[in-house]
Amino acid sequence: MAKPKIASVWLEACAGCHMSFLDIDERIVDLLDKVELTATPITDIKEFPEVEVGVIEGALGNEEELHLAKELRERCKILIAWGDCAVFGGINCMRNFISAEQVLREGYVETVSTVNPEGVIPGKDLPALLPHAIPVDRAVKVDVYVPGCPPDADTIYYVFSEILEGRIPSVPTDIMRYD
Amino acid sequence: MSEITLVIDGVECRASKGETILQVARKNNIYIPTLCWMEGLTPIGSCRMCVVEVAGNAKLLTACTTPAENNMQVSTKTEKLGKYRRQILELLFAGRNHFCMFCSQTGDCELQRLAIEHGMDNVRYPFLYETFHNDASDPNIQIDHNRCILCLRCIRVCAEKVGAHTLDLEKRGWGTNIMADFGRQLGESDSCVSCGACAQVCPTGTITLRDFVYRGRRHDCDDQVESICPLCSLGCKIKAYVRTGSVVRVEGISGDSPDGGQLCHMGRWWLPKSTERERLSVPMIRTGSSFREASWEEALDLIAERMAPALKADRAGALVSELSTDEELTVISSFFRDTLEMKKMDGFYGNMLRGFVRGLKPFADQGVRPFTGAHNILASDAIVVVEANPQEEAPVAASYIRVSTVIERAKLINVSSGKNPFDGISDQDLRTTEKNMLSLLTALRKAVEGDEDGAAPEVKEIASILRNAKKPVVVIGSKLAEENPLLVTEAVNLAVASKAFFEDGLGVVPMLRAGNSLGALNTITGESDWVSDGHLDFLYVLSTGMVAEDKRSLEAMTRARFVVVHTPFMVHPLVNMADVLLPAPAWFERSGHYCTLEGERRRMNLVTAPTGNIKGLSVIMKELAGRLGVEMQKASAAPCENVYEAKAASETARTVHSAPGASVPFVKEVR
Repeated sequence: MAKPKIASVWLEACAGCHMSFLDIDERIVDLLDKVELTATPITDIKEFPEVEVGVIEGALGNEEELHLAKELRERCKILIAWGDCAVFGGINCMRNFISAEQVLREGYVETVSTVNPEGVIPGKDLPALLPHAIPVDRAVKVDVYVPGCPPDADTIYYVFSEILEGRIPSVPTDIMRYD
Repeated sequence: MSEITLVIDGVECRASKGETILQVARKNNIYIPTLCWMEGLTPIGSCRMCVVEVAGNAKLLTACTTPAENNMQVSTKTEKLGKYRRQILELLFAGRNHFCMFCSQTGDCELQRLAIEHGMDNVRYPFLYETFHNDASDPNIQIDHNRCILCLRCIRVCAEKVGAHTLDLEKRGWGTNIMADFGRQLGESDSCVSCGACAQVCPTGTITLRDFVYRGRRHDCDDQVESICPLCSLGCKIKAYVRTGSVVRVEGISGDSPDGGQLCHMGRWWLPKSTERERLSVPMIRTGSSFREASWEEALDLIAERMAPALKADRAGALVSELSTDEELTVISSFFRDTLEMKKMDGFYGNMLRGFVRGLKPFADQGVRPFTGAHNILASDAIVVVEANPQEEAPVAASYIRVSTVIERAKLINVSSGKNPFDGISDQDLRTTEKNMLSLLTALRKAVEGDEDGAAPEVKEIASILRNAKKPVVVIGSKLAEENPLLVTEAVNLAVASKAFFEDGLGVVPMLRAGNSLGALNTITGESDWVSDGHLDFLYVLSTGMVAEDKRSLEAMTRARFVVVHTPFMVHPLVNMADVLLPAPAWFERSGHYCTLEGERRRMNLVTAPTGNIKGLSVIMKELAGRLGVEMQKASAAPCENVYEAKAASETARTVHSAPGASVPFVKEVR
């Protein structure tokens, strides 16, 4: 049997979850015996192939991220929302308390350290902001939630091991965290 | 109370009628999750985390408010309950800003702990992203309403335990919010006493204390030590959290105690801040306008050299903080009083203590304990506050007075020469001048006894309140004692005439400022106030550096030719006046006992190991005795406990009538 394929993507987040994944240390060798990493920020492959497991780190804050989430959902069997941003929205939700327009003005014009006398806000060159940064399951169906900022390496390893055993896991309460 | 039996999760539990299901479950070690419930506060059943199933009842019942009944069959852990509880948590998370990664309380948060416990790995409801304001107007306490779950613990502790009732709710529905003083910011509140109790009980990151946040979560701290606060005679029990050698957080403990686990502003802020202060770590000797470091040998040699002639000439004195432990006071009094037979010893609050000792003596002579524990104010139905400002003298006692008055509807009577410390909640407010205080107290006492000839209408009114009261209490301010012991006697007379009798003593609460006043009064307090007169050749000062020295003590230091200051901190102006500085352990580095007003000898525990080149007090005193060529004698007086022992029931107390101006001798009880 061919090795199951995993694709992961880093959306609106800090990459901390992927860093935490690398913290599984030498166990990654065992894991790579059993699975194939395809498109991930680690392998730097951009195109999602058809995979068994899709992993999303990060909330969805703009059109591109929304598109990628939908694309990965279509190409994977099991989708994991990985980390607080993907599960709850996380730190990206700080902007949800003001309008998307105001967020852009704050970011590109009104910040004290910004020099932008014409008040130019990049428009067509960048993906448009969604009205709110949203958790992944607000856009696509999520099968496994792994909260944590970031989730511990052990938790991540546990989740992958369970999926490899053919089970759809829930994170046990003794290793779950939100920070 | 009648006994009932019920079954919780298959366990047969015995209970008393009137107990709630939650109380019975806790007694039987059956866990029911709670969020708005808190020990000591009125249960309100608002969060509904504690819902349980009761056989024969289709509704889910809140365990915290439902009384246990005979033969009840209670289930606390069914699948249905788990689902509902998780749903409640998801709704709370969706309601406001409960994103943990940028909250100072993550890891210390009860909401977070419960959500994880209930396996909440996602939130199925739409997040509202409503904006609430962040009230940062108070210098110490911050309220971020975005993190509030409206459990109302803060409102309840503020009203029911602190008696300030600063906080309450405003608006309704989604917009419901905690507010201070009818819609003000907390920093603008008149009623807030800055005790921080609201933050101590807050289960989320809503109410936080600037001094404590980001300095270590409770479970990240290296140590948690139970001890007591030494700052006033109530000796509130505290838990000090230590991280990397600093006290990073101080909390009151035991929510079921009369104080509800509260601390006052002093205990909350002054204790932790003290670890951050500049420490004195080695002995120092003055050279001109500055100091140089010295060895203990050199410093003690110099002290002994200056002390010997001063002792011979009877021009040596010692001024000792009443915040010292019993053990320290014993060593001090055995050295200065019993070994050196030095007359000039006193505490920083000497005048206050002498006033109380003399004023209370006629009643102690009758064999009654002339005061009662401050917590008995809660049991009182009429409180007379005489020339006191409890919010400054013993702030938790002020909480007792407010709670008793506002919640228990006790009558509150203020008698003062200055302003009324309980303005707005007192029933009677009698103002007089310092000069007329004695005659006013006498008139009050006579009126209570039935002699109302020529009494003012207010006096008659107060007398009627006191005559009808079942458990009156007289709170005597330290100012009254400082002015004249006869005033204290007359205030106690008023209590006796009003039949203010409690089990542990007379219904009198003296506002003893320092933590170990009762331990100090027969060990270090002098017979008379030598501090205010004459010059000294030698003065030893033991300060804990926790409270500011008064003018009188500082004057004594300026009049002394040679001053030794023994203190943990580089306290100004003490440091400016010293010729020799000796390092002492700070409160968190000491252990020992305090005689509290509450009638208990409470233990202060070592919180962190002492730092610096410190020597124990008994070692220092022994070495000084050696240098002076004297043998250390045993202390003739032991601190506190037998001085005001109740030998007779308080009901046997009689009023005393001393001729105006007659001096009451200051006699020490010696064991």
